[in-house]
Amino acid sequence: MTVLAGRASRATIIASVCSREWREALGNKLLVGMTLFPPIVILGAGVFAVAAAALYPPSEKDLRAIYAAAPAVAGLDPTEAVQGIIAQYFLVLFMLIPTVVPLTIAIYSVIGEKAARTLEPLLATPVGVGELLLAKSIASTIPAVVVTWIAYVIYLVSVVLLGSPAAVRAVTAPRWILAVVVMVPLLTALSVNLGILISTRVNDVRVAQQIGGLVVVPVVALGIAQVTGRVVLDDSSFIQMTVFLIVVDLVVFFLARLAFQRENILTRWR
Amino acid sequence: MTYARRVAVVLRTDALTKRFGPLTAVDRLDIEVREGEIFGFLGPNGAGKTTTLRLLCALIAPTSGSAELAGMRLGRDDERIRASVGILTEHPGLYERLTAAENLRFFASLYGLDKRTADAQVDRFLGLMGLTEQRDRPVATFSRGMKQKMAIARAALHEPRILFLDEPTTGLDPDAARTVRDLITSLAREGRTVFLCTHNLDEADRLCDRIAFFRHRVIRIAEPDSLRAELYGRTVEIRVVPAPLPAHLERIRAVAGVREAWLENGSILVRTDDPLRTDPAMVRTLVDAGADVAFVSERRASLEDVYLRVVHEEDEGT
Repeated sequence: MTVLAGRASRATIIASVCSREWREALGNKLLVGMTLFPPIVILGAGVFAVAAAALYPPSEKDLRAIYAAAPAVAGLDPTEAVQGIIAQYFLVLFMLIPTVVPLTIAIYSVIGEKAARTLEPLLATPVGVGELLLAKSIASTIPAVVVTWIAYVIYLVSVVLLGSPAAVRAVTAPRWILAVVVMVPLLTALSVNLGILISTRVNDVRVAQQIGGLVVVPVVALGIAQVTGRVVLDDSSFIQMTVFLIVVDLVVFFLARLAFQRENILTRWR
Repeated sequence: MTYARRVAVVLRTDALTKRFGPLTAVDRLDIEVREGEIFGFLGPNGAGKTTTLRLLCALIAPTSGSAELAGMRLGRDDERIRASVGILTEHPGLYERLTAAENLRFFASLYGLDKRTADAQVDRFLGLMGLTEQRDRPVATFSRGMKQKMAIARAALHEPRILFLDEPTTGLDPDAARTVRDLITSLAREGRTVFLCTHNLDEADRLCDRIAFFRHRVIRIAEPDSLRAELYGRTVEIRVVPAPLPAHLERIRAVAGVREAWLENGSILVRTDDPLRTDPAMVRTLVDAGADVAFVSERRASLEDVYLRVVHEEDEGT
């Protein structure tokens, strides 16, 4: 009697799960649309707004309001000031992409499997649930990070080509580049694991998205406060936020791992 | 039936119990399943069959008791157990956007099969299931029967030592059901053990070396024929034309070895322990009495009769 069964390496498991999830996701037009729609809209609106600001300088009244709302740009040439504040404002919106896009992917990844009843055969393999969760997290994180980075690079190039020196300075500020490089993967991981955690409790994609959507609130609040100069994120607060996000990521992953138990999935998830 | 020749126990449970709150789904399960045996696990809906399967495949943990599969202990060697068994779950649970081959290749990779072996196994099982021509079609386009065959192929893909099948022929047309039954038989012939959960008593009768009647706990375990003999003896039908007379029945009752005899639909039905000895004597007796005997045949109680009787006795006992 031939016995072929064994146990795959962790790398093979992660590669197989990612490859399978991506192939399935690419076949889901709704999911592809929901993944690409936010970055395309934010990118398009950002480039358009920066370009439009150069063509239509603000009135005296608008300018006073802008200087009052954003002390950081006070004293600059009106067009520059407007382009600078718009360019920076859209950078905040770019930070929303890693919270919105992976949430959708992660929710579909778990709720989709629940609906198709594919989890039991998967859990019957020698794969550990922790490995499965990690593989699912990675499968949802990578596309969201890549999409955000590509959108940011296009935005950066567009602003360099179309924007004023103030706008270029805003989008090429080392702190923002670091934010995109470091914060985007951390925010993505947070959103993914939150999505998985929520998906263990609900069966409806829309409900899961509504609950998960709350993750954007602190990001938006912090971003607006930063753009308007109410809060200044210096190097130390940036490091503090990074550490905070790492801790929150680990806590949420741990909670998702607790909820993602083989027995719970088979006997309690409906 | 081949199990008698094979004696190595590949699955053994000892008072295996699973409770969900106040409900005891599996109560002190004690079974031994032998290598190469097709073991039927029969019971009504909600009897705890699926829970038993999940326990034995190390998918859920027992509340108490223990089990050993192919020398591996439940709770200690769970990953190795899952690698050594294959399970056909209640629902096919296939990735609908992937093709048949992609589905199987994905699972082959999780079982650690290298690419070459995986490709060979995928080809082999798609061929066995008659799905070779559909290999590059998305599973979403498959019929229910084709999906069920895919799920069986997935369960057996890594050549497990023990195969757990939950209602394998449900939703299959007669042709496809035959294909699946042939596969089960050939797997057992290779020495693999098949643990078959089914409602289909006719199928269990045809395939299984031994059967267990189960309703949260095991009611009976035996070979189907032994159970029949124990519960019904062996029943012989003697067809007399144009019709048997009461006098014929009386004469038959007087033949040595006859336990019971009665008239039914123009025949005399006789329960006897040894038809080889009693049949010739009964025929002689009837011919001497002037009866015309058209034929003598053995009538087997169906497994359904056996099942209903066992369950009925259990109900009366409790």
